[in-house]
Amino acid sequence: MVQEVLRLQNLQKSFGSVRALKNASFTLGEGEVVALLGDNGAGKSTLIKAISGVFPVDRGDIYVRGQKVSIRSTRDAMDLGIETIHQDTSLAPDLSIARNLFLGREPVNLKWLGVFAPLDLAKLRDAASALLKRVGISKKLDADALVSTLSGGERQSIAISRAMQFAAKVIILDEPTNNLGVEETHGVLRFVKEVRAAGHSVLLITHNIHHVFQVADRIIVMRRGEIVAEQTVADTDLLTVESIITGADMSALLKETRAK
Amino acid sequence: MPVGKRGSSLVRSPQFSSLIILIVLLAVFAIADANFLSPLNISNMMAFLPELGIIALGMTLLLTAGEFDLSVGAVFGLAPVVVMLLVQNGEASIGVALLAGLILCVAIGAINGVIVTKIGISSFLVTLSMLLVVRGAALYITQGFPLKSWDQPGFFVTLLAGSFNIGSFRFYTSLWWFVGLSLLAIYILRYAKLGNWISAIGSNRNAAVARGVPADAVKICLFILTSVLAGLAGMISAFRISAASPVAGTGYELEVIAMVVVGGTALTGGRGTILGTIVGALMLRSIRNGIVLIGVPGLAYNIFVGVIILAMLILHALLQKNAARG
Repeated sequence: MVQEVLRLQNLQKSFGSVRALKNASFTLGEGEVVALLGDNGAGKSTLIKAISGVFPVDRGDIYVRGQKVSIRSTRDAMDLGIETIHQDTSLAPDLSIARNLFLGREPVNLKWLGVFAPLDLAKLRDAASALLKRVGISKKLDADALVSTLSGGERQSIAISRAMQFAAKVIILDEPTNNLGVEETHGVLRFVKEVRAAGHSVLLITHNIHHVFQVADRIIVMRRGEIVAEQTVADTDLLTVESIITGADMSALLKETRAK
Repeated sequence: MPVGKRGSSLVRSPQFSSLIILIVLLAVFAIADANFLSPLNISNMMAFLPELGIIALGMTLLLTAGEFDLSVGAVFGLAPVVVMLLVQNGEASIGVALLAGLILCVAIGAINGVIVTKIGISSFLVTLSMLLVVRGAALYITQGFPLKSWDQPGFFVTLLAGSFNIGSFRFYTSLWWFVGLSLLAIYILRYAKLGNWISAIGSNRNAAVARGVPADAVKICLFILTSVLAGLAGMISAFRISAASPVAGTGYELEVIAMVVVGGTALTGGRGTILGTIVGALMLRSIRNGIVLIGVPGLAYNIFVGVIILAMLILHALLQKNAARG
């Protein structure tokens, strides 16, 4: 197997009496695209939020490259190389592409001035242009353009390139193709493949099983706060996965999964 | 090519259209009444301008971060009242009393900010309640009577309300405060790391938080800043007219917000412009002054002010639509 980048062990999280995450464990390998599937309320977003530092888990351990880590804030997650891209909420529309790319990690002069330090605008723009060029979207986009002037697909691409920029080990994509047109969706999926080719690992959360089969290496299915199936894409098919998600015919599949 | 592009975006920017309208307004007033541009009248306008303008600078930053503050007018009234009471009762020297007044403003701003961010009540409701509390406090501690302000010359009086002549113009030191604070605000919003955070928070708070921006702390600091600037403006005003009234600043909150949005800052956050606010402050001040000079009946002032503000907002909205289409 490829080298392990992220490992979750027995993660548990409750909100009051609701056990949103009962016992989740899985491993993400280097350069691997893993799709996390499940119906609404299956615990996908709870799992994502725990990994990206939105809230701490009640129990369980997270390992990054074999090292046990504690993730208490989004900043912690970012510092560990875990970048999360939420649907529609990753960019500030009134800021330029360049300012968005470096939001929270702005290059500055006179660092000792803290939050009052002046932005290094030249470096900001150059780095942004270089990044846009590297990910192949420089032809269309100007680093000074406001994000509000971009299409949904372009915004997703910008958000993903930002995650790549900071050499993220793990990029979590939360419903990246929601509200996108057909062509834009293909653009984003192509981008996910490029991200994998560049050596990043991707955890892809989506409702759309078709997209999963186009880009993912492995599929993890969650139901009611638990991981109920884990299969490589090559070993399964669309109908099977669909029935696992809805719980229509679990027994045979679970047996198959356990046999492995 | 980039120069041309940036040039045209400047022309289409909201602060630019506000500036054009300001120039037109000034021209109309100047033609209608020759006294409008007289040294005395300009000196008068420049005496009033900084007092609301200073508050508007803080309000611009706060609005850009997506919040606003309705308690500024009341703070404008309370801060100098507290200072004068402390001095008159012999409890503090003037310097210590001024410091105490500003600390009170810090506390008011902090309470606003903490309730808005940590409890999650909208800034409209929180600062509206604070307006009543603060105004009520000012009325109660003075029993409703204006206090005679500190009128002995000294360092602090000169610092806040000293005046000087340039030719036949008479300016107050408050103008320097306004100029200095404006430059600082422009720097923060456009060039500093903090400004990037402020715009990002107002534009999409979740995105900013996801990037590790301490959104709540930034907002609380901006509430404090706005409150402190309102208190400072109140002290400047009280020193200038040598009286601290518990009802001073009534209605200023709306006038200040009008200045800010007329300048092109979005009420919904994310887009703020200090230059626009300066233009907005000049515009509202010259309207108030100009319509008196051209003989609009006193009771009709607000009709004109309201209509002009509405016209400005419609213009901004249309420009915004055009920009979105282009």
